[in-house]
Amino acid sequence: MLFVHEFHKVVGKRAAAFEAAYRDGWMPRLAEGDEARLAWYFDLSHGSGLAYRVVTVTAVADGAAYVRLAERVAHGDLQAWARDLDGLQHESHGRVLTTLPWSPSIPPLADIPTGGVTREPSLYMEDTMWPFPGRLRDYVEAAGAVYRPSLGAEDARMHMNVALGLETLPGAGRSPEVTLLQRLSSLPPLIALLTQDIPPEVTGPGSWMHEALDLRDRWRSRLLRTAPWSPLP
Amino acid sequence: MLFVHETHRVIGRHASTFEDLVRDEWMGALARSEGTRLLWYLNHAMGSGPAYEVVTITAVADGAAWDALGARMVAGDLRDLATRLDSCRHEVEGKLLFPVYWSALQQVELDQVPTDARRHDLSVYMQDTGWPDAPLDEYIELWDQDYWQIMRQTPPEQKLLDIQACFQVAHGSGIRPEAILMQKIMNFETLGRLLTNAEEPDPTTWPGTYMAKGLEVRDQWESKLLRTSAWSPLW
Repeated sequence: MLFVHEFHKVVGKRAAAFEAAYRDGWMPRLAEGDEARLAWYFDLSHGSGLAYRVVTVTAVADGAAYVRLAERVAHGDLQAWARDLDGLQHESHGRVLTTLPWSPSIPPLADIPTGGVTREPSLYMEDTMWPFPGRLRDYVEAAGAVYRPSLGAEDARMHMNVALGLETLPGAGRSPEVTLLQRLSSLPPLIALLTQDIPPEVTGPGSWMHEALDLRDRWRSRLLRTAPWSPLP
Repeated sequence: MLFVHETHRVIGRHASTFEDLVRDEWMGALARSEGTRLLWYLNHAMGSGPAYEVVTITAVADGAAWDALGARMVAGDLRDLATRLDSCRHEVEGKLLFPVYWSALQQVELDQVPTDARRHDLSVYMQDTGWPDAPLDEYIELWDQDYWQIMRQTPPEQKLLDIQACFQVAHGSGIRPEAILMQKIMNFETLGRLLTNAEEPDPTTWPGTYMAKGLEVRDQWESKLLRTSAWSPLW
């Protein structure tokens, strides 16, 4: 399974129409077939970054299914939908991603809801890392062996779990680049992270924070909130 | 057919190693699959933009071939070579491209693309990337009717550019709206005049011209002067 990850700069005055285009257009149109589904619709939480930014994640069965979907957008039955969307966003920046070897998986495409869902929003921390030249594989391996298990430890500082671990497919985004989509299960640890200094034992020698600096020292976190109708919570 | 467009920010001291790897190992490794071929290897001409930046364009037969390429790079026979290439660059920015409906380049006979690094003269391309504020389709239509059609009628001796391909970004693999022109520079004297002409015409005083009509759909684009290597399969 592949994932089309899009970061949308939405026209503020058209934000509601943009959301409707995905909820009432993209999601049901994909549901007419069996090889692609809208998986998540996220708003970047106001107060944590740029305004009127939306992240969508669309799951597709494989590369061939992705190209068929892209052809529908370029010159097929989804061309008019995309043309309308051009008036609702300033631009979007897309990537096509594949799962890391240790990533959890999402439900099969056929089991992803295609409408009728209303639930409380979930909060995600989306981390995107840029490993040093030639260190992508080492970083992926270390993140799977050290970082991911640490989230589940009893004394974990953050209460969240990796929903998907992703890397860019060749030619479909920036590389080396790794994205972790992490769902928060509790808010207070996040508030503590935002409001308190990180204690030395978390950043000292032997810690993930310290040792992973050999593999990368740049990453970006986004706080994303699911729409109440987002197919996956 | 789709085209993988990659902009490589190469580490300066590893620039020769990077080119050697692409020429001597990567090009041949791609050719071991029937569905992939390196087409262009282009150096961003120093003095006209960023240093140590390389653009490559690879033809891929279809989605299955792209899937297979990804699998080879992530966990297959190209994994180690991909890591060695990674070691020679700061990063690479890639996007998947489809030819637009009027592009001269639509399909490539992959088995006819040289893979032996045969040497030839150098060519220079002007790669224009535009970001319209109108729907993407309107921009592509403008390029067709007011740029491509007019340029086709220009006598060869007066031509600055020959449009060899025009692409749009495949959904979700880069920026939308964005479209790209690959234009081979045919006349360097004319290029010189373009670069040195101090009298920039005011497009708003030229109603009906391409420059004036173009402003109705976009005012942001970027030109890159890209020079083929002496062994680039296409040039």
